[in-house]
Amino acid sequence: MPTPSNFNRRDFLRVGTIGGLSLAEMMRLQETCAAESSRHDVNCIFLFALGGMPQQDMWDLKPNAPSEIRGDFEPIDTAVPGMQVSDVLPKISRVTDKLSILRSMTHTDPDHGRGYHVMMTGKQPGAGDFNGNQNNNHHPSLGSMVSFFGEPGPLPPYISVPNFLNSGGPAFLGASHGPFVIDADPAAPEFSVRDVTLPVHVTESRGRLRQEALRQINKLEQSAERVSGPVRSLDAFYEKAYSLMTSREAKEAFEISRESESLREEYGITSAGQCCLLARRMVEAGCRFVSIENGHWDTHRKNTYSLRELLCPAFDQAVAALLNDLESRGMLDKTLVVISTEFGRTPRINELLGRDHWPNAFSVVMAGGGIKAGQIIGATDKLASAVVDRPITPADYAATILHCLGIDHRKVMHTPLGRPVPLVDGGKVVSELV
Amino acid sequence: MIFPGALNSTMLRLNRIAALFLLLAAAVARGDEASSRVPIAELIVVPATIHLNGSNRQQQLLVTAKTASGRLFDVTHDSEISLADDALASLSGSLIHSSRDGPGTVVVRYGETQTSVPLIVEGVATYPPVHFENDMVPLFSKLRCNSGGCHGKQSGQNGFKLSVFGFDPRMDYNALVKEARGRRVFPGSPEQSLLVLKASGRMPHGGGRRTDPGSADDVLMTQWVAQGTPWGDEHAPRLTRIEIEPAERLMTPDAGQQILVTAIYSDGSRRDMTHAAAYTSNAEAVAEVSEQGLVSTGQRPGEAAITVNYMGQIGAMQVLVPRPSAPNPYPQLAVHNPIDQHVWTKLEKLGIAPSPLCDDATFLRRLYLDAIGTLPTADEVRHFLADTDSNKRPAAIDAVLQRPEFADYWALKWSDVLLVNSESLGPRGAYAFHRWLRQQIADNRPYDQWVRELLTASGNSAKNGPVNFYRAMRTPPELTKTVSQAFLGVRLDCAQCHHHPFEIWAQEDFYGLAGFFNGLQHQKLSPDRELVYHAGHQPATMPLTGEVVPTRALAAEPADFSAADPRIALADWLTAADNPWFARLAANRLWKHFLGRGLVEPEDDLRSTNPASNEPLLAYLTEQVVDGGFDLKAVTRLILRSRVYQLSAATNDTNFDDEQNFSHHLVKRLPAEVLLDAICEVTGVPEQFAGAPLGTRSTELWDNRLPSYFLDVFGRSERESPCECAKSSDPTMAQALHLMNAPEIEAKFGDPSGRVSRLIERGLSRDELVAELCLAALGREPTQKDRDVSDALFANQLPQPAAEDYLWTLLNSYEFLFIH
Repeated sequence: MPTPSNFNRRDFLRVGTIGGLSLAEMMRLQETCAAESSRHDVNCIFLFALGGMPQQDMWDLKPNAPSEIRGDFEPIDTAVPGMQVSDVLPKISRVTDKLSILRSMTHTDPDHGRGYHVMMTGKQPGAGDFNGNQNNNHHPSLGSMVSFFGEPGPLPPYISVPNFLNSGGPAFLGASHGPFVIDADPAAPEFSVRDVTLPVHVTESRGRLRQEALRQINKLEQSAERVSGPVRSLDAFYEKAYSLMTSREAKEAFEISRESESLREEYGITSAGQCCLLARRMVEAGCRFVSIENGHWDTHRKNTYSLRELLCPAFDQAVAALLNDLESRGMLDKTLVVISTEFGRTPRINELLGRDHWPNAFSVVMAGGGIKAGQIIGATDKLASAVVDRPITPADYAATILHCLGIDHRKVMHTPLGRPVPLVDGGKVVSELV
Repeated sequence: MIFPGALNSTMLRLNRIAALFLLLAAAVARGDEASSRVPIAELIVVPATIHLNGSNRQQQLLVTAKTASGRLFDVTHDSEISLADDALASLSGSLIHSSRDGPGTVVVRYGETQTSVPLIVEGVATYPPVHFENDMVPLFSKLRCNSGGCHGKQSGQNGFKLSVFGFDPRMDYNALVKEARGRRVFPGSPEQSLLVLKASGRMPHGGGRRTDPGSADDVLMTQWVAQGTPWGDEHAPRLTRIEIEPAERLMTPDAGQQILVTAIYSDGSRRDMTHAAAYTSNAEAVAEVSEQGLVSTGQRPGEAAITVNYMGQIGAMQVLVPRPSAPNPYPQLAVHNPIDQHVWTKLEKLGIAPSPLCDDATFLRRLYLDAIGTLPTADEVRHFLADTDSNKRPAAIDAVLQRPEFADYWALKWSDVLLVNSESLGPRGAYAFHRWLRQQIADNRPYDQWVRELLTASGNSAKNGPVNFYRAMRTPPELTKTVSQAFLGVRLDCAQCHHHPFEIWAQEDFYGLAGFFNGLQHQKLSPDRELVYHAGHQPATMPLTGEVVPTRALAAEPADFSAADPRIALADWLTAADNPWFARLAANRLWKHFLGRGLVEPEDDLRSTNPASNEPLLAYLTEQVVDGGFDLKAVTRLILRSRVYQLSAATNDTNFDDEQNFSHHLVKRLPAEVLLDAICEVTGVPEQFAGAPLGTRSTELWDNRLPSYFLDVFGRSERESPCECAKSSDPTMAQALHLMNAPEIEAKFGDPSGRVSRLIERGLSRDELVAELCLAALGREPTQKDRDVSDALFANQLPQPAAEDYLWTLLNSYEFLFIH
């Protein structure tokens, strides 16, 4: 809600002269004086470890805990004196000076669908049945908010690879702020992003003729507000599709084969590695928010084996290569890298040698984008089971990400009916990072 | 406005006035009565006598203003409320807390009008005996101690576990009083109890501070311990129901309304639970509701149901927001059948006038695409438009319902719901299941009969199609969820692990239903065939306790198993005419399919907390399903013949933002399979699916895993969940790019055997060519605008590329991509 102190004199004058303004209109007015920031040129690469990353085996080791808690990983020293990570992250251990670990993330949703939602949006989902397969979006995802507040560029402002991320949708911001989904794995040899160029036999001039004819035939006789919602949202996509097709720079961003073999190998010829590399290309070409899903972290069974053999090698290599590459290109300060997950995993190893869901205390990582790196923020108890210092909620985390991208998280969005909804409900920017 | 003179004042003063202005703006927003100071005839305060019995009791007031014309509006939060004797109670806004015994008076003033109600405070000296189930469990729910993320989750939290949402008070009692060697509660020194210390944040608590020291909630906890942690009198009054006030209210846009929730106990006593109940709105676009039960309407006219839940007791308040500029007098509207009457009645209440009938060309295209998933051909369109018979629409409906494509399209729809997934069933199983489903539709076999055959199916999966229903989902819990979702619209998933948080379903209901499937056997015959049969009834057991749960259907008595296969008893119950969900779901699914929005939305989520937007209409359609002997085609015909189905999608000043009352047709994008078939039909070039004969349409496919980027990007069903929520019809940029640039579609335009080439070979004139393409794609004759568009393309190009470009334009147009 606005408080009177949010109004400055100029706004008040406008209110006074207009008179008879509705409360909603006044609130809209109020938003226009929300703080502007100089970070509009910061973009985000958002890597989501789907399933729940075990905090105690990667970022927040507890070597003194009993063996059924501690697990099979050893802490190792890193580039930052005093900051340790797991021995399963050797490459990341050499780039910790570029990142900060938030060890005190905490929320209350131990379900994948709900955990995914709260970590993609910053907002706890409302009551309802959650099915992990659906776009269970009760609040716009961070990527959609960035798309909503961003300037239109040659590339879609929000891209997902190698598939749609659940809860990555736009909710009431409308389909046009959903992600552009690259539904293909850039690690595959034949990878290409289809349909972004005219068919081979259609010349540029013929393409223009067609577009002009389409504009004419779609010219609607009704006023815009009377056009039905589905038509309006498809219309938005046609516009965006056309601008993508007509930009050479944009199309080249998708061509990962333009990168040198050696750089591709440095990232690793894995889904995680090539998605990160493609994300860097797309951010370089003007995309503001790339979300990457990296799957199969739900280690209810054989946790040690899964981490050591299947998950961490590719992850470790990809993240380290991404941070090094961004730095060597001078892009790190302008690219926020977030490594997120639904929740952490249970302190005690279960009978199947796995760990179960644990939202009470877990770790996420942030790097670049102007944040203060080399820090450990927050702490958990001796079992990595509860936050004992500086709890960070999903709202705080979302506020921090938006802040780094130059978006005031206190801003208000409006539903199609004019109902005001804050970007983040009650979160505070993690001040140690900014 | 009132304060131009303030403009030169200091910022401080400005701020104060800005605050004043905000208040005023809020008052203006709360409806015309408040702002224009319509004379108030009466102020009504509920309750009429305020009775606070015991210390720490509170009462929310509800203040309603009544105008001379009898109009009611809420002024609870705009009234001045005061006490004649301040010592008796304390006030925070419109909430009163007891502080000292005695009779008194509460004075309520709104504008010029004033009234008073008696206040009786008693028994403040003695704290009323605390009852664990009646007092403490609701408190844990209110403070969210027992939520699924905290102590309510399966493993509890830091060794302390409560039953999720308080469904097992006995267990919660033991956890507090008997576990942890009694450290959680110290009757000797109540303030030192862990319960009190942690909840109030006086001792570090992972869940943070939940109560403020000294608050009513904090005092209640302390008092419970001080009284010796009683379970409570076994004969203490039980919560029997809740009362909601007001039960319904006609509201203006941008207005507020406080809800008052009163718990009624078995001895007739009443307590205010407004601040402990949970609220949800089924139409937030029309009205939303705060945690304190304050409803606020938006700009949109319509109806909303605010559901109130307190300790599993459900109540609702109906909000109706008519359009302020309602047509007056309301027009006389023609009626084709009773569907129309039900819709018009509702629209009249809302002050919304429906759109007129759509034109013939729009009707025919809509009918074909909705009923059989197919475009009318150019000849069919010409014939229909030229027909002068006034009965031609009903005749066209009857004809279309007899077409073989009707069976194809509805077999596809049911294959999505019943998970005919070639990945899980194997090709043989998926083929047999799909064939069987299509046959049921083609024969128009009554819905209850084919569902009964499916539910009781046994045998070889390659030979007996419906047996495959028991192969995609195989275990009793999976089948419980699938059957309840697909045939009843009841989402039981929550109750597999704990009591459903906002419905009546308990774990016993889940495993009671699961018992029907216990004993189901799958015997492998060959790599892609199974023998499925039921080996006889064995009741299910609760997963944690191993307790046997009597097998029974939902909200039904334990089943009688005279037959060997318990699924027969299940089918008897499920398909019975008086089953509360079976026919209702069928009716609602049909309505959603043809009208674009369910009467209950989502269409397969039938529950008491999700009321229909037009209950009389849904009841009528349900009755038609049952009375017609579950002949779904007959109900389909009834819907198609209604005037409501045939309304134009164009809107007027009163219905342009109505989306829930069917005052105009809601446009729908062509579904993935229908769109692909339409593109093939218009270009004259069929899609070649791997392994299917050339010319097979995508609506005929039995194999949902045939590779097709088109179907994937436009969102064909994955057939992994019976829930409609698993599908998305949202457009994406990838769809737009594909329609504009896909080489596969481009190849169809220029194909030598395609429509364009054939028309050009026939030597048609430009005008004829354009007319043919327009009729094929849009189902209508070209207009001048179409001529202008095509002229620009034909001006400097040869006819073949120009015609291809024109076809490209048509297939990317909104008119083509949507059913209007």
